Amino acid sequence: MSVMTNIKRKLFSEQATPYVLLLPAVIMILIVVLFPLIFSLYTSFTGYKLTRPDTLFKLVGFRNYVRIFGDWDFWVAFFRTVGFLAVVINLEFLLGLGIALLINKITWGQRTMRTIMMFPMMFSPILVGFQFKFIFNDNVGILNNALQGLGITEAAIPWLVDGWLAMGAIAFAEIWMSTSIFAILLLAGLFAMPKDPLEAAQVDGCNAWQTFRHITLPFLMPFAYIAMTIRSLDVARAYDVVDTMTGGGPAGRTELLWTLIARTGYDSANMGMANAMAYVSIILSIAFTYYFFSKLVAARRYMGGAL
Amino acid sequence: MTEVSLSQVVKRYGQLEVVHAIDLEIRHSEFVVLVGPSGCGKSTTLRMIAGLEEISGGTIKIGDKVVNKLAPRDRNISMVFQNYALYPHMTVRDNLGFGLKIAKHPESEIQNRVEEAAEILGLGMLMDRLPAALSGGQRQRVAMGRAIVRNPDVFLFDEPLSNLDAKLRVQMRTEIKKLHKRVNNTIVYVTHDQVEAMTLADRIVIMRDGHIEQVGTPLEVFDHPVNTFVASFIGSPPMNQLEGKVVDGGKSGLQITLADNILIPVPKRSKNRVSVGQDITVGIRPDDLTPVGHGMKEDGETVSFDLTVSISEPLGTETILFSSIGAKEVQGKMLNPRPIELDERLTFNLAMDRVHLFDAASGQNVLGDANG
Amino acid sequence: MSTQTKAIISWIVTFIVMLIITMPGLWVILSGFRPLQEILAKPAIWIPQRLTLDNFYAIFGIGETQIAIPVLAYFRNSIIIATTSTAIAIIVGISGGYAFARYRFKFKDTLFLGLMLSRTVPGIALSLPVFIVWARLGWIDTQFGLILVYVALNVPFTIWLIDGFFRQIPKELAEAAEVDGCTRWQAFWKIEFPLAKSGIASAGIFAFLTSWNEFALASNLTRSTNSKTLPVGLTDFIAQFTTDWAGMCAMAFIIIVPALILTFLVQKHLIAGLTFGGVKG
Repeated sequence: MSVMTNIKRKLFSEQATPYVLLLPAVIMILIVVLFPLIFSLYTSFTGYKLTRPDTLFKLVGFRNYVRIFGDWDFWVAFFRTVGFLAVVINLEFLLGLGIALLINKITWGQRTMRTIMMFPMMFSPILVGFQFKFIFNDNVGILNNALQGLGITEAAIPWLVDGWLAMGAIAFAEIWMSTSIFAILLLAGLFAMPKDPLEAAQVDGCNAWQTFRHITLPFLMPFAYIAMTIRSLDVARAYDVVDTMTGGGPAGRTELLWTLIARTGYDSANMGMANAMAYVSIILSIAFTYYFFSKLVAARRYMGGAL
Repeated sequence: MTEVSLSQVVKRYGQLEVVHAIDLEIRHSEFVVLVGPSGCGKSTTLRMIAGLEEISGGTIKIGDKVVNKLAPRDRNISMVFQNYALYPHMTVRDNLGFGLKIAKHPESEIQNRVEEAAEILGLGMLMDRLPAALSGGQRQRVAMGRAIVRNPDVFLFDEPLSNLDAKLRVQMRTEIKKLHKRVNNTIVYVTHDQVEAMTLADRIVIMRDGHIEQVGTPLEVFDHPVNTFVASFIGSPPMNQLEGKVVDGGKSGLQITLADNILIPVPKRSKNRVSVGQDITVGIRPDDLTPVGHGMKEDGETVSFDLTVSISEPLGTETILFSSIGAKEVQGKMLNPRPIELDERLTFNLAMDRVHLFDAASGQNVLGDANG
Repeated sequence: MSTQTKAIISWIVTFIVMLIITMPGLWVILSGFRPLQEILAKPAIWIPQRLTLDNFYAIFGIGETQIAIPVLAYFRNSIIIATTSTAIAIIVGISGGYAFARYRFKFKDTLFLGLMLSRTVPGIALSLPVFIVWARLGWIDTQFGLILVYVALNVPFTIWLIDGFFRQIPKELAEAAEVDGCTRWQAFWKIEFPLAKSGIASAGIFAFLTSWNEFALASNLTRSTNSKTLPVGLTDFIAQFTTDWAGMCAMAFIIIVPALILTFLVQKHLIAGLTFGGVKG
């Protein structure tokens, strides 16, 4: 009895409350994320194959890591992934900025435009993949159909068959899916922007470009970094898109880190190796998020009291 | 009978102690104002009385009940917050009745008491509005209404007027005073504004750095500040404080030398409390430093000396005169003012009856106790 | 250039941008209502000649043309998994978000960072160990197994959003309620919760959409009609050599409609939540 009341008192005391409130969240993360990740760290040091359960206990040291780091295909997929992200995120930012500035200029219908912009955000990545697979299909796709119908090209363009074209098509899908988040947040930034600094800049003799470059853009950057941080949490969504559109093909020419992991783990049943790659991809994701988040913090500090 | 008594009350945040073992007795139906600069621990003290902050040591009693561990709702108090803390999703009526509803009073009683409070504060027209549709002064009134509806033992006010503009603040100050006269509950009121403290309080508690510096009626703390801090905090414009030294003036007895070769006698009441060679801070209220012919009263013991007036601020009934003694700026007051020329030299009378002497090292009033 | 020409140009550009944003999605949705011959016609038939529900009848197994894909079961699974995991994620998120918004405690920043970082783990990378562990526990191809994963996936984001919404509500309101006679719980339930309600709702819809749309984990943790969700089911249409485009388009419509409705409902809160959550930190 007294032990129970004691525990009860401890549990409901002011100091304990936040921990009690956070307990369910922490337990969920432990079960679904942390514990499996520790387990996968272990398996990355074994030769575990799904088809042979006993291999789970066969420790192989750093062999998986040595092997993937010596594997040409892995490095190609790795750098293709980094390059792909660098290109699409930058393009999304630039396009998003353009769209935000455009809508900010328009005097009416802004809200409708903003709503329309949210349209792609509702699409499941798998749907986006499917949709562009349908559109870019060399045989029945509407794009080739249109190009041929207009007489721009005679033969069907092999959008998803040629390596470079397929990468471009995937990038297009990815940009279509994610530019909105930049546009919307940058537009929110433009709406929140105080008028005084703009007027002060005009009085100080800045031209339109200088005002944009030195006043508007620095003010918008924190909003851009929020978008990038949110975006970097989800970069691996590209897996769904690639998986549907090309499945990493043709002949591995659109293989990203994530499709390579899936292929190694599930199709080749080589779990130990796949987990080693998965760790590389996790570190990559954390690095992206950390990079943008620290930029966000720095930009916020730079803005000082203005935000 | 609802006294509030704090004994040896301490507040710590981790290693940092912000309120140091304070003692305070608040009598039944007394209006006590806690005043001090920001960070002095006055709000923390109030929140400890409310039960919104746990106390780290000591005892708080409301009535004859120790409330150290009681939740706010069990203390029978009500509080008016700095930002009013009106519930934005409830109408004025629901805001007023919320406490009674929680306490499960019957609907009819709630209605009567809410109407009564609304009547007192003139909220009749606003009852069905949401807080967002009220002006600052109206919100303030609703917050006070919410406090009185529950007829608590103790009212707590946490800087309730600091978000109002100057004119409204003066008006609400009077209303709060009227309210106290009417309901006659014990009130603990926190402010950083010494004018508010002086005008409202039965007794003022002046705090600094988590200590209570002085407790007394407004006139006591004004006339007998225990140290230089209280002296400078209470009164506007603030008391001039000049550095001086006690010297033996031979036949004239003990004297104090100030900068610019000004000599003033040590007042009789302080004679036995200072010694030759002691460093002294001389406190002079601007009211007591007046040009000859422009003072309040010129009986009593006075000392005269000439000062150059560098700036004058006419206020109508009086003019504030800025001058300096040594490097130190001093302010004097001119009653029945006449125009002052630039850098005009005037002879000033200093009313010695009301000069305050503080030990320069400790800052304590050399008269020791406040009522000396 | 005159202001008028400028305005006209910016209208034209905006129109083209909006067209690019909306057309691909609309085309797919529209195709779901068109007969297969018309979708695949060469040269393209731009203006629909005939609208039909045949594709929907087919995928739901109503009428003559039936296909062997149990869309109804997938739909049921999706609804159950997404709503249950959202409900749990919201409760856990309110609890955690409130802790971060209202209390100061040791390891607060570390805990917050840890939660957020758990969200950055790519789904496919997480799926490998979860697959192995779930297989051992017998949770593969169960709704429970997927619900658990989605709760964990959504909790960091719901905490982040809800933390932001609670932070907007002055702490004094709950204190005033406590002085007014409320217990801590009553103060939360009668004052803070109603004020954060719309924000919490939008966090919920965000969580729902994540679960509703998720593919990488679902595709590896589900096997059959027991637990397969709509996004996983979509790939059923891609057979070895043929793709049932019309059926897929119809199914795409089914997946997108709930998402469309929900997002439009909360778009305002969503933007507010994302902006102040991020800017004010």
